[in-house]
Amino acid sequence: MSNHDAEILLVEDSMEDAEMTIRALKKVNLANKLVHVKDGREALDFLFGTGSYAGRDAKNVPKVILLDIKMPKVDGIEVLKQIKANDNTKFIPVVIMTSSSQEKDIVTSYELGVNSYVVKPVEFESFAKAVSELGLYWLLINRIATDNR
Amino acid sequence: MNQSEILVSGKKQSLLRGLSIQQRLPLLICILLLSTVVAVGIAAYFGVKQSSFRIAGDRLKTVAGQLSSIYGQTSVSAMLSSKTIANEEPIKKYLQSPGSVPDSIAKISLRKLQTDTQSLYVELLDKNQQRLLRAGRPGFETGISGQALLAELQLTPDSARVSKMKQVGDSLYYAIVSTVTADKQIIGYVLRWRIAFTTEQGLRQFSQLLGTDASLYLGNIDHSGWTDLRKPVNAPPENVYDTASYYTYSREGIGPVIASARPIPNTEWVILIEFPQRTILEAARRFAGWILIIGGFITIIGIIIGWFMSRNITRPLKQLTAAATTIASGDYSSSVEVDRKDELGELARSFTIMSTQIKNAKENLEQKVKDRTQELEIVNKELEAFSYSVSHDLRAPLRAINGYAIMLKEDYGDKLDAEAERILSTIMSNAKMMGQLIDDLITFSKTGAKIISNQWIDMREMAQSCVDELTRMEPAGKYHISIDDLRPCKGDSNLIKQVWMNLVGNAIKYSSREEMPSIHIGGYEDDTHCHYFIKDNGVGFDMQYASKLFLVFQRLHTDAVYKGTGIGLALVKRIIDKHKGTIRAESAPGHGATFYFSLPKTSES
Repeated sequence: MSNHDAEILLVEDSMEDAEMTIRALKKVNLANKLVHVKDGREALDFLFGTGSYAGRDAKNVPKVILLDIKMPKVDGIEVLKQIKANDNTKFIPVVIMTSSSQEKDIVTSYELGVNSYVVKPVEFESFAKAVSELGLYWLLINRIATDNR
Repeated sequence: MNQSEILVSGKKQSLLRGLSIQQRLPLLICILLLSTVVAVGIAAYFGVKQSSFRIAGDRLKTVAGQLSSIYGQTSVSAMLSSKTIANEEPIKKYLQSPGSVPDSIAKISLRKLQTDTQSLYVELLDKNQQRLLRAGRPGFETGISGQALLAELQLTPDSARVSKMKQVGDSLYYAIVSTVTADKQIIGYVLRWRIAFTTEQGLRQFSQLLGTDASLYLGNIDHSGWTDLRKPVNAPPENVYDTASYYTYSREGIGPVIASARPIPNTEWVILIEFPQRTILEAARRFAGWILIIGGFITIIGIIIGWFMSRNITRPLKQLTAAATTIASGDYSSSVEVDRKDELGELARSFTIMSTQIKNAKENLEQKVKDRTQELEIVNKELEAFSYSVSHDLRAPLRAINGYAIMLKEDYGDKLDAEAERILSTIMSNAKMMGQLIDDLITFSKTGAKIISNQWIDMREMAQSCVDELTRMEPAGKYHISIDDLRPCKGDSNLIKQVWMNLVGNAIKYSSREEMPSIHIGGYEDDTHCHYFIKDNGVGFDMQYASKLFLVFQRLHTDAVYKGTGIGLALVKRIIDKHKGTIRAESAPGHGATFYFSLPKTSES
């Protein structure tokens, strides 16, 4: 799996959540081109080819970003802002994943142009289902969009 | 005080009450001064009138006395001269021995009595009162018979008298009659006929003596023959002959007069001096007029002073009123500037202190409210942050526990025996349970802080949709649920939906083990509230625990039989409380339960 060629960028600070997410995506064969970064700073570095990802071709953008909101250093909302502010990344579909259904988070992220939203339920099955459906959906949409170019 | 007076005073009071102080004070001063002025004016008028009358009367009396004595002396000298000349020798001889003295000689004597313009003629009568001679204005006769005149006078020998004045036509005549006496026998009479009128010069002299307005009258004591020395005039009232006092009466052509009369000594005449009251009253009137003018002037000054005084009083009052109005409208910055040392100044200072204190108190209050609000906001934010982190952070490990348990089951399921699998599923169900608990708790805490909206809710439709939603997963026909026609009510539809969901959910849950689960949803209303109830035939509960029913985490059934977090009814109660409604439950173990809740008909938003 190349760090520099990703279809799915998973931004998640919780190793357990990340593992469960990857496991869910694996089940539907979507995890082979997945890059997992552990916080917002790293996510931005990856997307813009800076910091530890210096030299990475920023033009090579992932097809979908799964973004956790509550993270140390740079949180999901800030990452979302920067993604949507950059011409190179603003068209990447972003799916927000969060533990809470706090209205504030939802409103803020929709204002910032998030494409989808999923609350991580305690029941793993439904979470896995939601994640895999979303991942599949957005990847397929993107493929169609790319193919039609 | 009789009733009409009370009425009048009451009316006056209400009239005064309608006026402002600024109008009242000058009005009072005006009334006071005017009444004083009028009273003084009237008193002065009558006082001056009375004293003027007295002075004028005294003067009239004096003048009348003086004039009557002058007249008396004049008549005495006239009678004396008449007597002297009448008893001159030629006349005596002419009478004693007719023919001894020629007529012309006798006439010379007689003509001596023709002294002034008032003299008309002189006649000589014999003792039989027959005219012998006549001297004077030729051809003029008074037409009064000498005999008649003498009969009135009843002369004694060696005497002379002045006759009454006799009116003949427009003229008045009198005669100074003297006897001609020889040897104490009357041998003849000399009659000096005179006109009672005087010349303009004579009248002028009287005027100078008496003053221009005064008039002099002469008349007989028997009330006849009155004249103003120009022409005959009407007689004055009869009581005028009493000389002790002065009199007032009305004279034709002149009006009211004051008069004094005095008999002229040695004659049968009366002298009367009249003075028009107009002149005397004029003085009194003029005096009263002056008083009125001065009084009016004082009144006007009084009103002006009163106006300024009352303005002086009302201006600070107005300022106070304006300041009070400003304060009442919420502006506490206004103060009253009254630079005075009197009671009003004191009031204004007190007012300013009061308004300052109110201002300070309000500012303090505002500051306190601000502080409290800030504190509350901080607490609220902390609470929000807390519930946020609870919802995030407590759920993450739960998710991991559940997720990893599933992974274990999926990846190593074939290696686990039945007991291991039971333990694993217990772990999973508890993790799920805790997730539910956290969700419920967050909902519960959010409900407390939520501002409720207020709209019309179709309660029947809402109850029906809750029933549909909750029985979707149940086998068809398991529950017999009837819903009556429910009255719509006002409330927050999201929250009321939560109430229906929880209550109907409870009814379904606690009747699920019955053979024929039956639920009845109904309602009724009274004047103030709409009431709704949900009745089931489930397990029910013991009423002695009813007080614990609506408390958080209080459950009357064990988890093993009926799953639950113990938050549902607490949330329902909180929502109903927020709507100012009521909730209660009736039940007996094994006989089902009925939950009643009510919402006010006019719910405030």
